[in-house]
Amino acid sequence: MKRLPLMLVAAGAFWSAACSGNGIVNPPPPVGKYSKASLNGQYAFVTNGESFTGGLSATPLARTGSFTADGLGNITAGVEDVNAAGTVSPALQITGGSYTVNADGRGTLTLQLGQNSIDFGITLTSTSDGLMIDETSNSAQSSTGSGNFIKQTPGSFQVSGIAGPYVFDFSGLDGNQTIPCPCPESFIGEFTANNGAVSAGFFDDNDNGNFNGASFAGTIAQDPLQAATLSSFGRGVALIAGQNYVFYIVDSTRVRFVSTNGGMLSGDAVAQSNTAPANVSSIASSFVFIVAGSSINGGITRVGRFTANGATVTNVLEDTNDGGHFIKTDGGTNASITLDAANPGRGNLTFTDPNFLNAPGKYVFYLSSATQGVIQEQTVNNSGAVDVADGTIAAQTGSPFSSSNISGTYALNWSGLSLQNGGSFAVQDEEDMLSQVNVTSLNLKGAADIFQFQSGVPVFDLVTSGSLSIAGDGTSSTGASSRNTMSVTLTKSNSTTVNLVVYFVNPQLAFFTNNQNMNRIVAGVLKTQQ
Amino acid sequence: MIHTNKIRLGILTLGIVLGSSLWSQAQLATRPDVEQLRSYNVSREGFLLGTVVRFTTASDTSPMGAHVLFQTSSGQIDVHLGDARVLKAAGLELNPGDSVRIVGEPLASGDSTYFAARIVQKGAQAVAVRNTKGFLTTPASVLTPAQKEALRGVR
Repeated sequence: MKRLPLMLVAAGAFWSAACSGNGIVNPPPPVGKYSKASLNGQYAFVTNGESFTGGLSATPLARTGSFTADGLGNITAGVEDVNAAGTVSPALQITGGSYTVNADGRGTLTLQLGQNSIDFGITLTSTSDGLMIDETSNSAQSSTGSGNFIKQTPGSFQVSGIAGPYVFDFSGLDGNQTIPCPCPESFIGEFTANNGAVSAGFFDDNDNGNFNGASFAGTIAQDPLQAATLSSFGRGVALIAGQNYVFYIVDSTRVRFVSTNGGMLSGDAVAQSNTAPANVSSIASSFVFIVAGSSINGGITRVGRFTANGATVTNVLEDTNDGGHFIKTDGGTNASITLDAANPGRGNLTFTDPNFLNAPGKYVFYLSSATQGVIQEQTVNNSGAVDVADGTIAAQTGSPFSSSNISGTYALNWSGLSLQNGGSFAVQDEEDMLSQVNVTSLNLKGAADIFQFQSGVPVFDLVTSGSLSIAGDGTSSTGASSRNTMSVTLTKSNSTTVNLVVYFVNPQLAFFTNNQNMNRIVAGVLKTQQ
Repeated sequence: MIHTNKIRLGILTLGIVLGSSLWSQAQLATRPDVEQLRSYNVSREGFLLGTVVRFTTASDTSPMGAHVLFQTSSGQIDVHLGDARVLKAAGLELNPGDSVRIVGEPLASGDSTYFAARIVQKGAQAVAVRNTKGFLTTPASVLTPAQKEALRGVR
């Protein structure tokens, strides 16, 4: 209970230190292999967070777009579509901009949209992709959020470039405009695209706790109002299960969507390969999953793992942060997986949570391959859904995890809510943190930016330090004592430490959430730099 | 077991309707089935009448968010009000001594329980801080049409 005041003091110190310039600790000069030349070409980007414009409260914000970097520090072209709590601003032209890339892959990105600009902190994870947080804080707009960017393949910028089966996860707010909505929604599923026709679709929807699943059809097309954006930026329009979207093609294997009529849903569709298991007997792997969303207590994150051998599921662990309250689920029982014969890759995971014997944990997933997929929680009790949450499921490979393979440089990003006191009153608000760390002997050293949105001002170049603790072989497969943890300390003039529970997908990727009963609910990824 | 739960719920609902102190006593005497309190059920709703002792926009009491310490005729109770920005956007201020009516029900946070507000009413003004499924209202839900239109300026 005493952590909260300490955290607030530290958070307040961040701001005052940034203003005064006294006692500031700065990270050492960056080292590494990256430069401005590492960002060269067209990149499709997404962020999800909040915006603040004069006179309004912070408003949920989703954006998807494409920018072109010239390898020299200039943004030469681009376009974005913005959805602010259901209010859509389509096809906003990116007229210019600039970027920096330090040797460690950290940098800045400014996109100019006519008279306005938006700013991001970036960390490259390769020359083809990276993580980003929105750090816009100017007279026209403040906005934050986490996201990423992926290099596009212009050769696929055509309607026929979206072909074959895809798995998707769109999340955000529904289109209900009646107070007290819009309400939380998770919409996941799969479809097959062929020359603009969408068929063989099936979705699972959790709209404000109301579950629905059904088949659907749709279309993919050039935007009749912005026809040239398809060939220039891979941008077009789609109708998915009756909902309108704008999309951006990354390549034939990934397409990024944001909704444009009423609600605010966004996410990616990923090509489903023929390696997605056709029957449950072919599943023999451990999986890690992460979901985030809304519960009756506020925000919720869950990270967990299980081992599947056919329909038999063992070694279920789950860590939940529900409204700032941390709950450990050890040894879920009666666990099983089923696959849906009618919808390839779709299946269910169920288990008895020893904390909630009368409300078995239930998830629906769509696998895009034998090792990847999307997942939506569908746990209910006698009164209904316990949350609206979705995320990612991935096979666990490359174990054992140890200091020998959890090593090198990583991008570290978390997003969620924290208690903040930077505005006119203390409030829980969006927090986004992006860092680059060098992991040596399981110790973390690097630099970070953080935007606690209530303050209206991001804080740059905090010293990042910390450590990882790996239990056993790092797979967390041996029960309650096998959890991995990570401690991350962010320092400017004072320090704040966030403790997290970590599940390794492979040596290059891990999911985590914070594991303390405190006023913070964040989840994120640790992703290697290549 | 079902009968037991119904009885517990009956006691609970009655307690809320009659006043928060009864809810508090019921909580102590017959600990609610926290598993049922992981989701919101409007059929369990009741209301509290009382005065504000202390309003906190961001309490260190779980769950995260705004809380009000509420004085009823039979005792004090801590109530979770969700996102303080919703109340602020609606222009609803809660000051010590204010007479307030709160519609809501007990919910679970972990293995403990708390009273969750869905509607906060002060005088003639009522603000929904949760929807009927119990999910927190966001500031986006209290935007006027003109304010929504202004969001077209967001980049």
